[in-house]
Amino acid sequence: MVAMSNSIEHADWKIHWKVTESAGLIIYLASYKNRRVMWEGSLPYVTVDHQRQVLSIDEESGGEAHGPFWSPLGVRNLVGAIRRSDFRGGFELAADFCVGQGGPFRYTQLWRFHKDGRMAPWLVIHGPGLHDSHTYHPHWRFDFDIDGASDDALEHFEGGRWTRVAEEGWLPYTGESAENATVWRQIDFGTGAEVAIRPHHWEDAELFAVRYHDGEWPPFSPRASTAGQSFPASYTGDESIDGEDVCLWYVAHVHHDAAFPFTAGPWIKCGF
Amino acid sequence: MRARPTASLSVDPALFDPLTEGERADALRVLTEDRRLATMAKVARYRVVAVEPLVLKPPHDLFGRRVARVVAYDYASDRCVDALIDLDAGLVANLQINEGQPMLGRDEEGQAVAVALADDRVKRELGLSDEPLAAMHYWSRRDIELSSSRRSAAVLFGQPGARPTLVAVVDLVDSQVTEVVPAEQW
Repeated sequence: MVAMSNSIEHADWKIHWKVTESAGLIIYLASYKNRRVMWEGSLPYVTVDHQRQVLSIDEESGGEAHGPFWSPLGVRNLVGAIRRSDFRGGFELAADFCVGQGGPFRYTQLWRFHKDGRMAPWLVIHGPGLHDSHTYHPHWRFDFDIDGASDDALEHFEGGRWTRVAEEGWLPYTGESAENATVWRQIDFGTGAEVAIRPHHWEDAELFAVRYHDGEWPPFSPRASTAGQSFPASYTGDESIDGEDVCLWYVAHVHHDAAFPFTAGPWIKCGF
Repeated sequence: MRARPTASLSVDPALFDPLTEGERADALRVLTEDRRLATMAKVARYRVVAVEPLVLKPPHDLFGRRVARVVAYDYASDRCVDALIDLDAGLVANLQINEGQPMLGRDEEGQAVAVALADDRVKRELGLSDEPLAAMHYWSRRDIELSSSRRSAAVLFGQPGARPTLVAVVDLVDSQVTEVVPAEQW
């Protein structure tokens, strides 16, 4: 079914969606059981890195002959209409993107919403790419506002327990997870409500936690400057995030030697 | 238990709606009439990358207002212009000029393809049925290459639906091809 309205109320969810120039199919003002979960969730970039197929002994670049390239998933690359489908226990939105005319980079972006509180922001990567030695890096940005924007805390499962994250930073998935396979969770102090994030086991996921500032908006590029680090790493400093409004970047790394199509992205579960 | 913050629970979803053609034109006009960007507007070597709505959260002053975010790249100064336009008030509410490298605008993608197609090395390497497939924002990680520090695109050539055969790196600042690489060697 072609989705026409940009507001959907179904399976205990109420969400809004739109397609942008720069960040794919965005979900905004998402609520579950009448409680705000997310201000905005988007997929600002999918960068692609290439590695040399044949390495020489004196190779100094670690196998990377060139830097990354990317094109935003947006209106210019959208193929066909946004599709809405209802499934047993929920609904989903799907959008196909192809970079260029018959280009080598094809994706299907999915947002799935389950009645039990699960949300799946996924990206199906179809390939085929330039050659076999390349890696996709989809970057999702989640601005969770659980029961409102402030009073949030982030926890990371490491060392066999949940640890409170005090400052902005990089929180990689090391293979360690809680019993339900979740690795990170954002909790609202005021109500105890939470969203838990479970990474895909095969995509070397990492999470960047950033404090949201009034007037700070997402960049239009993964490249902060010609000399600086790429986003989102360049966003993270040492500011406190405990009790603040927190913004999360989930970055997956999908190597082309994985079987394709490959579905990247986390499971997100509302806990209330 | 602390009181639940409620400010963000009452937001007009229409603020997120895509900009109309008129709103986009309004935003660009307000931006180019700003005195701080007089040189950029006069020299006119800038390219508009994106004009999109932005909704700021409470307690920001612009919460509840119709705001456009305009991102442009000024080739005359090699800088990114990132501005918030308050469409309700018709003024530039925030202006940043920085070294960021935003995505390529559609015009820039078209320019990159045109430059690549006109290059003799590219012409020599292309097969009969090869055509431009995509133009993507690119930067090299090697300091010695122009594309590590200048705004560049990678133009992919090949047959639609198949893997590309050739990649041309285009320096968008001087409109020149700086590298031509068979795709399998990229």
